[in-house]
Amino acid sequence: MFSELVARNSRRSRRENGLFFTSLVISIIAFYIILSLSHQDVMVFLQRMESNAVDRLLSLIPVLYGLTLFILFFLVYYANRFQLTRRRHEFGVYLMLGMQRRKLFGMLLAEDLRSSLIALAIGLPAALLISEVISLVTARLVGLGIVGHQFTLSLSAIVWTAVGFLLIKLLASLILSGKIVREEIGALLTDAPEGTKKQRPAAVYAAALVLGIALLAAAYTLAIGGRAWSDLRYMAGTLALGVAGTLLLFYGLRVIIDRLARREGRVGRLRVFNFRQVEETVIHRSGALAICSLLILAALCCFGAGVATARTSRAETHTLDYTFPTDSEDSDTVRETLTAHGLDGAFSDLFEMRIGYIRTTEDRDHAVRYEALERAADTIPDADERQQLQYMLEAVGYPHLIALSGYNHLLAAAGQPELTLADNEAAVYCDSEVSLASRTALLNRLIAEGSAITIDGAPFTLRGQVQSVSVVTDRSITMSFALIVPDAVFDHYTQGDYDVYLDGVLAPSMTEGKSLMNAIADMNALLDPLGLPYESYLQNLGRELFYIVAASYLTIYLAIIFLVVANTIIGVQFLMGQQKAARRYRTLVRLGAEHDTLCRAAKAQINWYFGLPVGVAAVSSLFGVRALFSGILSVSAQNGMTEMMIAAGAMILLLCVVEWLYMAAVKRSSSRYLLGLMAPEREE
Amino acid sequence: MEPILEIAALKKYYGKEPNLTRALDGISFQVMPGEFLGIMGSSGSGKSTLLNCIATVIAPSSGAVALHGKCITTLHGKELADYRGKEIGYLFQNFELIDNLTGRENILLPLSLHGVSEAESRERLTKLADYLEVTDVLDKFPAQMSGGQKQRIAAARALILDPEIVLADEPTGALDSKNARSLMEKLSGLNADAGTTILMVTHDCNAASYCKRILFIQDGVLFHELRRDVPDETQQAFYGRILAVMAQLGGGSANVL
Repeated sequence: MFSELVARNSRRSRRENGLFFTSLVISIIAFYIILSLSHQDVMVFLQRMESNAVDRLLSLIPVLYGLTLFILFFLVYYANRFQLTRRRHEFGVYLMLGMQRRKLFGMLLAEDLRSSLIALAIGLPAALLISEVISLVTARLVGLGIVGHQFTLSLSAIVWTAVGFLLIKLLASLILSGKIVREEIGALLTDAPEGTKKQRPAAVYAAALVLGIALLAAAYTLAIGGRAWSDLRYMAGTLALGVAGTLLLFYGLRVIIDRLARREGRVGRLRVFNFRQVEETVIHRSGALAICSLLILAALCCFGAGVATARTSRAETHTLDYTFPTDSEDSDTVRETLTAHGLDGAFSDLFEMRIGYIRTTEDRDHAVRYEALERAADTIPDADERQQLQYMLEAVGYPHLIALSGYNHLLAAAGQPELTLADNEAAVYCDSEVSLASRTALLNRLIAEGSAITIDGAPFTLRGQVQSVSVVTDRSITMSFALIVPDAVFDHYTQGDYDVYLDGVLAPSMTEGKSLMNAIADMNALLDPLGLPYESYLQNLGRELFYIVAASYLTIYLAIIFLVVANTIIGVQFLMGQQKAARRYRTLVRLGAEHDTLCRAAKAQINWYFGLPVGVAAVSSLFGVRALFSGILSVSAQNGMTEMMIAAGAMILLLCVVEWLYMAAVKRSSSRYLLGLMAPEREE
Repeated sequence: MEPILEIAALKKYYGKEPNLTRALDGISFQVMPGEFLGIMGSSGSGKSTLLNCIATVIAPSSGAVALHGKCITTLHGKELADYRGKEIGYLFQNFELIDNLTGRENILLPLSLHGVSEAESRERLTKLADYLEVTDVLDKFPAQMSGGQKQRIAAARALILDPEIVLADEPTGALDSKNARSLMEKLSGLNADAGTTILMVTHDCNAASYCKRILFIQDGVLFHELRRDVPDETQQAFYGRILAVMAQLGGGSANVL
C-alpha cells in the first residue's frame, strides 16, 4: 500500500512538473558528458600530444562539476519546495488520518528517490548514447578518422553523475521534508497565507531602478575599458557592481510595469490583468528573476567566448608539415639520417630556412634604423595607431634576418608568388599570430610611403607587402618581426652564425587515403626512433584542437547548465504562480473568458515573464562579450568585428532556440492547466 | 410583457440510483423585466444549483433555461462566453475580485475580456462608482478595501456591461449587517431607479425583504412564493412574512401552511 502510494505520488509529481523533470534529465546528460570527457576520442588523441594542457583541463572538471552541482542544488531545492507547498493540504490529511510523522518523512524521501532513480534511468543511457555520438562527430570533424573508434563506457563518470545527482536531490529533500513534517497539522491544512506585500513608496522603487541602471552602466564601463581585467580586485568590484545593479534593476522594475498596467486607452484582451500578474511576480520574486537573468548572462558569455576562441584558433594557414631545427653545420646530418632510414622520399619538399641575427655590429638597439618609416608614422592621425606603431619600430631595432632563398621556397610551397629582391632591398616579415591585421595593413601603407631603412648603416629599401607565411611548422622559433634579405646580404650580416630550420612538406604518397592527422601521426611513429629533434604540424593541430575542444566542451557545458537552471526556474515559477492564481482564472471564466482568451493571456504573460530576465541578460551580454574580447581573448581574436559578429550571432541563435523551446513547453503546460480550470466546480 | 428569463422543468440530478441526489427536480418560473426576485431555501435546498444552472456554471440534467426566449443550455464557445460576460452580471458571495488588480481594473475587466473599448464605458464607470460610493477606492487593491467596498466594486463589475439580468449568489453572505444593509439598499435602488433585473439567492431574511417577489425552494422543488405588496406593504411587514415561511421550511414539507 505504502509503496503504491509512493509510486503514484511520484508519478503525479513528474507529470505535474514535467518541465523540472526534463531539466533534471538534461542535467544528468550534461554531467555524464563532461565527466567522461577523458574518454572522448579527441581527448584520448590529445592526451598523447598536449598531455600537460589536457591534464590541466581534466583536473579542472571536478571543480566545474562541483560548481554546477551547487547551482543545480538551488534549482532542485526551489522546484521541490514549490511542489511540496502545493501538497501541504494533502500532508495535513495524511497526518489527520493517523500517519506517523516519521512515515510521512519516509514517504516524501521515497517519492523523491523514486523520481531521481527514474531520471537517472532515462538520463544515463541517453547520456551514453549522446556522448558516443559527440565523440564520433568531433573525431570525424577534426579528421581523426573513426575506424579505430571503440564504444567507451566511463564507469567513474556514471558513478560520479549518479552520486552527485542523488546527493543534491537527497539533501534538498531532507531539508524540505524535515520542514514539512515538523509543522502543525492545522498549519498544513489551512492554506498558507501569501506573505503580505510590503509596499514602499514608489520613489523607493524608482530610486532602485535608477541606481540599478547606474551600477550596471558603471560595471559595463569598467569591463569594456579593460580596467576590470587589470587586477583581481577590480574584477571582483566589477562583478559586484553588475550583480548589485541587476538585483536593484529587477527590484525597481515594478515601477515600469505598474505604469504600463495603468496606461489608459490601450485595448487588449486582459492586458491589465497580464501586467498585474507579471508585476506580482516581479514584486514577489525580483531576486530570483535577477539571478536567473545573471545565469543567462553567464551562459551567453560562456558561449560567446567559446565560439570566439574556437573560431580564432583556426586562423593560421597550413603550409609546412615538419621542421627539424638544427644549427648551420648539421642540417646535412638530418638529411643523411632520413636518407639512411629510407625516409627521404616521404617529403615532397625539404628545404632550409636560414634565420640569424646581425653579427656585424655590437649596437643591439639600433642595428636597423627606420627613419623614413618613423617620419611617416608621425603623420598618422589616429593617436592610438601612431603610438602602437612607434613602439613597434622602437622594439625592432635588432631584428632577425631571414634568407630569401628559403623563404621563397616556403612561398612556393604555400602557392604564393616568390619575392624578388635586389642586393639593397629587404622585405618585412610579421608573424600573423602576434600581429594585428589592421597593423599589418597600416605597415603596408607606410612602406608604400617611405621605405628607406638602414641595416648597420647601409641603406636598404623595403619592398612589397608584409610577409606572414610561418617560417617553421610550429614554434621552434617565434618572431613577431623580421627582415627578409637576399642570401648574399644574409651571409654578410650573419657572418655564418645562424640557425637552420629544415622545413618539410609530406609527399602526397604519404597522405594518400588518410586524414592529414593520421598521416602525420604515422610519420611521427617512423621518426621517433631516429632520435632527431623535430616538430610536426600535429602539435599545431593538437593545440588548435585543444583550444576548440576545451573552449567548446567546457563553455557549452556551462552554458547549457546555466540556461537549463535559469529557464527551469523561470518556467516552474510561472507555472506554480499560475496554479496559485487558479481562483483568479476561475473568476475570469465566470466573467465569460473563453479558454482561448485565457491561453492567449497566459502566453502573453509567459512572453513577458521570460522576456524580462532574458532581455536584460541579452543587453548585458552585448557588453559582457565585448568585455571578454578586450580582456581575455588573444590578440588575433581582437582582429575585427567579424569574429565578434559571428560569436554574437551564434549566441543569439542559441538563445532563441533555447528560449523558444522552454517557452513552448511552458505554454503547452499552461494551456493544459487552464483547460482543466474551464470545467465548472460544483459549489454547493 | 415578455419575460426576460424563463426556467422550464429544470432538473439537475447527481449520482445514480440508488444514491441519486435530486438537487433540482423540475423547477419552472419566469423573471419579468425590472423584477427583483429572491430565491430562498435552507442549505442544500438547491438554490445555488439553480443559480449555477442559469449562470451556465453547471449544465442541467434536463429542462430549459431561456433568456429572451433563447435557450442558453445549448450555447458554447464564443456565444457562451458572451452570454456569461454580457447578458448576465454575476455577484459572488466571496466577491471574487482579482486581488492583484485595483478596483478600477477589476470593474473594467469584463470590457477587456469582451474587447469593448474603455472609452465607451468610462462614463458608465464614473456613474456606477459614484452611485455605489466606491470612487475613493477605485485605485486601491482589494486588500486595502473593506468587505462592503469589495462587494460594491464587485457589483460595479457585474453591472459595467449593462447586463440583462444580475445574478447574485448570497451577496451579503460575507458582509456584516451594516455593510449588508448598505449593499441591499444600493441593489434595490438600482432596481427601482434604473430598472435593473436582479435574481438573488439568499438565506438572509433581511436581504430578502428588499425583493419584490421571493421563491422558496425545498428539496429541489418550488415550495412557496411570496409577493411584496408594493407600495402598501412595508419592508418590515414583508420581512415578517418571510420569517414565517422560513420557520415552516425548517419543519419540512409536512408542515406546509
